[in-house]
This record gives sequence, structure tokens and C-alpha cells, in this order.
Amino acid sequence: MRLGLVLAEGHEKELARLAEEHGLFGVLAGSGDPLTAVNAAVYASTATEFARIIVRVSLGLEHPVLIAEELAVLDNVNNGRTVVLADTEELDEEAAEDEIAVLREALAGRPVQHDGPVWKVPAGLPANVTAPKSISVTPKPAQIEVPFWITGRAGVAISARDRSLALLALSPADLDGARPLQSARDAISGDVARDRERLTTWAGAGVTHLLIDLPEGPVGDLLTAISRYLAPEVGMPHFPRVMSESKVPLPWPGER
Amino acid sequence: MLPMHWGRAYRDLREYAQLIEDLDYDELWLSEHHFFYDGYCPALLPAAASVLSITRRLRVGTGMLLLPMQDPHRLATVAHDLNQRSGGRLDLGVGMGYRDIEFDGHGISRKQRLPRMLRGLEVLEAEQREGGATLWMGAQLIDPVKRAGQHGHPILFSAALPVERCRTLAGVWEEGWRESGRSEPKPTLGALRNIWVTEDDEERAAARDWVRASYVQYAGLGWTLPAVGEHAQADFAEETDNAIQATVETTITGSADECVEQLREFEAMGIDHIAFRLMLDGAPRAAIESQIRRLATLVMPRLRSPVGSRA
Repeated sequence: MRLGLVLAEGHEKELARLAEEHGLFGVLAGSGDPLTAVNAAVYASTATEFARIIVRVSLGLEHPVLIAEELAVLDNVNNGRTVVLADTEELDEEAAEDEIAVLREALAGRPVQHDGPVWKVPAGLPANVTAPKSISVTPKPAQIEVPFWITGRAGVAISARDRSLALLALSPADLDGARPLQSARDAISGDVARDRERLTTWAGAGVTHLLIDLPEGPVGDLLTAISRYLAPEVGMPHFPRVMSESKVPLPWPGER
Repeated sequence: MLPMHWGRAYRDLREYAQLIEDLDYDELWLSEHHFFYDGYCPALLPAAASVLSITRRLRVGTGMLLLPMQDPHRLATVAHDLNQRSGGRLDLGVGMGYRDIEFDGHGISRKQRLPRMLRGLEVLEAEQREGGATLWMGAQLIDPVKRAGQHGHPILFSAALPVERCRTLAGVWEEGWRESGRSEPKPTLGALRNIWVTEDDEERAAARDWVRASYVQYAGLGWTLPAVGEHAQADFAEETDNAIQATVETTITGSADECVEQLREFEAMGIDHIAFRLMLDGAPRAAIESQIRRLATLVMPRLRSPVGSRA
């Protein structure tokens, strides 16, 4: 199981940099105000080089083509490291599925011509006389296919129908070991023994990517606990604990 | 039309931003279009965020973000957040847009663009009064320019506007400002200009040709610069060669002295922000970087001193 970090709102840049320094696979941006999630994701992107940038996209707040354009720019800014976490918010299953369909079509390689229960793209409005019957969102994302994860009330049912939408599990009840990718989100306490046990349980249940909410406390110490004690523990079966509990090598003389 | 990876374009943007900040430039402006083959930036605030996140002093402006295509309340929130994150360095320039495909792709009737623009401006004006990002306008017709003056919004004039047309519109803006009787300090106007400082004839010819090539894009976009008063229409789609040639002629080229002299004309109109339009199709990066440095060392220091202090 791989570990990632939920970024606190307003501190995305420094937290993302620290998360990458500690070897976490990715960070989740947009844990606060859903409207500003893309700003948060861009700040996390330019502070990192390798970490995946999971951006929470709340559905039902804007036209999905406009959102797709923002995501495409984001993906080019971070050179193909974007993962979309679609949050269905208050939408019902049909509306959420239709919006996700537009987002995915807009980020794919074909021209978009969508006529769904909620969205029609292009709209074909009479006043737009010179508009063609299809559009192509540009720039295209840097990566071949943007991964889509899903969360929210309608997410469980949607992901059960569409296995390519990885459900972000918030409780063990959401888990489905048959999914090729099973992400989850949970908080740690800062107590290494307790957190080891908690994370080992998630790993044992088949979670592939766990996003961690940090408790209050010194961030550097918490991330050190994650990278030194928790990540190795869930990174391989039967981790030889002596590796993390042995003395840390001496710092280079003169370093602080 | 020159090939470039889109990811590279955004990396270049950040690298240029750092360079111009180091060279003491004040502002960087970004522009927007949608659904165009070359990946023309369709989402300016994420692009602006990428620059603001790695710079400390440089202001970043949207020139122009197409307001009728956005939910203004969402836009106001996103812009407010970005302005806060960057220590107040966002300038929010908004315009109306003109391409049917861009409206239709976002589910908006072109007929609604003016009411949506005005409603959006009300929302953003309220946000600005609460300390939000400075609002700028993109306009080139009498009524919207006058309205911008009445509301105290600075304008960034298009690089395709000939000098005389800028003078006419700056006068219209001034009239609107005076009529409004506004009490706050008068904002300064801005103009985007094609410019290339060089005394080398070959380089000058190349730069003018890069300007020409860059405006072919406006033919593809179907842009028309409508007539205003005695200023004739320039239709880039239907009369491509004429419109492009007329625009190339507005390019400021020559020695540093000659360029400064031409830029002083704008200063005399009350236009104090000049955005150099240098990202030209066909221009090699080395040429652009060299030009950025030349402008910073040979032209900008001379424009920093106020006109009144030169005597």
C-alpha cells in the first residue's frame, strides 16, 4: 500500500514539498473550499516534481467543459501528474455520471459531442450560428489518460457500475478488494503503535493508496513518523521492523 | 504553427516569469481562447497560479479572461483565493469574447454575452470593493470603454490597435472617468504593444515577420476589430492580408531611442502600463530572451523616470 497526504487548505505548497521529500506517492489538494481546489493543486504542483496531484473536483458547481479546461492546464503545469477525485456532492447518480462523462470525454483525444440527460456539448444554441457540432478541449492533458477517482454520496453506486472509477473509501464498508485500484482516506493519531495497527488493517483489506489526514502537531515530526515507521510497514509484507527502529545514521558534520 | 509540447509551453511560462521578475519587470499578462488546435490557454487562473506560486514580486494579469463564460460568483471566489495566496499580485482583466464556438462549447448563447458580462462585472466590482483583485477591462468600442472609465476600471488595449485608435479610446475613457466624478485615485491605462529593439535590419525584418505570423492566428480565430469613429474595421478573417499588414505596421522597432520615443506617445495619452508582446510565433527562445533582456536594460529604466522629471 502506498501513502499520500491530505493537504491542509492554504498550506498546500509547503506541505506538498514536504510530502515529496518524505517519499509519499501523492497529495490531495482541495480539502477545504471546493471552488479553490484547482488553485491549491497548482500550488502543490509547482512545489513538487514527482508526487501525484490528486485534485478534488466538486461536481455541480460549473460547466464541466470549463472544469475540464482547468484540469487540462493543471495537468500540463505538473507534466501529467494529475489525478481527479470527482466529488458527487449533492448530485444524484444520473447527474453525477453525466457530468463525469463530459469531463472524461473532454479530456480524451476525440472531439466532444455529448448529449446526456443533463449536459449537451456543444449546446447547439440557435444564436451561436457559426458553432460547429463538436468541440475539442485544448490543451489536451499531458498524460495519456487522466485517472479518475470518485467520492461522495452517489459515488459508491457509480463506482460499482463503472470499475474504472476508483472509489475513495472512507470506511472499511466501502472497500471492494476486486477493484484493481482501491484508494482510501483516513486520519492518523500521531501515536506510532496505534497508527501502525490502523494502516496495517487498511493494507490487509486490499487498499492500494491511502491518503492520510494529519493530526495537530509538528508537521515535520509527523511526516518523519510516516516515512520512517508507517510507509515501510505497509510497503512490503513482513517488514523487518529492525530497519525502522535502528539508530538513524549520523548527520554529515556541520549539518543542522 | 511551430510545434511545441504543451507541457513545455507551461514550463517556459514559469521560466520566463522568473527571468522577467529578476530583470525588474512589473507585470506578466496572459490571454485566453478555447478549443483551438494549438492549445491556446483556456483557463487563465490556473496558469496565473503557476506563475504566482513561484514568484515573489511579479504581478500577473489576465488579459483577458472571458467573463460571460464563467459563473461570476465562483470566479470571484477563485480570484480572491489566488489574490490572497499571492500577496495581492493578481490583476483580473475581463473581456467579452466573440467566437460562437466558445460560447456554444460552454452552453451559453452568444445573445447572452452582454447581460452576462454586466452581471458578472457587478459581482466582481463588489469583490474588488472588499479588497479583491484589481479589475481590468478589455474593450475597443466606444460604449464599453466609456463605461470602464465611468466605473474606474483600467483598460489594457489590444496590440492590434493603431496608435491613433488608442488615443481616441483613451480620450473616451477619460471622458467617462470625468463624468463619473469619482473620488478615488485615477487608475492608469495599459496597452499591449508589439515591440522589438534592434538596430540590425535583418533582425528587424525577422521580428516583423514573426509579428505577421503571430496574427495569422487571429484570422483562424475569426477576429474582427470593428470600426470606431474615423477608424476603419480590420477584419482578420475576411481581409486577412490587409488586416495583418496594418497590424505589423504598428510594431515598434528600432534603436532603444526610437522605441522609447514611440512609447512616450502612449505615456502622453495616460497609458502607463505597457505590456510588451514578445511571445511571437516563430521567434526562437534565444531571440525572445535576448529581447527581454534588451528591453530591461535599454528601454525600461528610461521609462521609469516620470515625464515631468526629464527636463
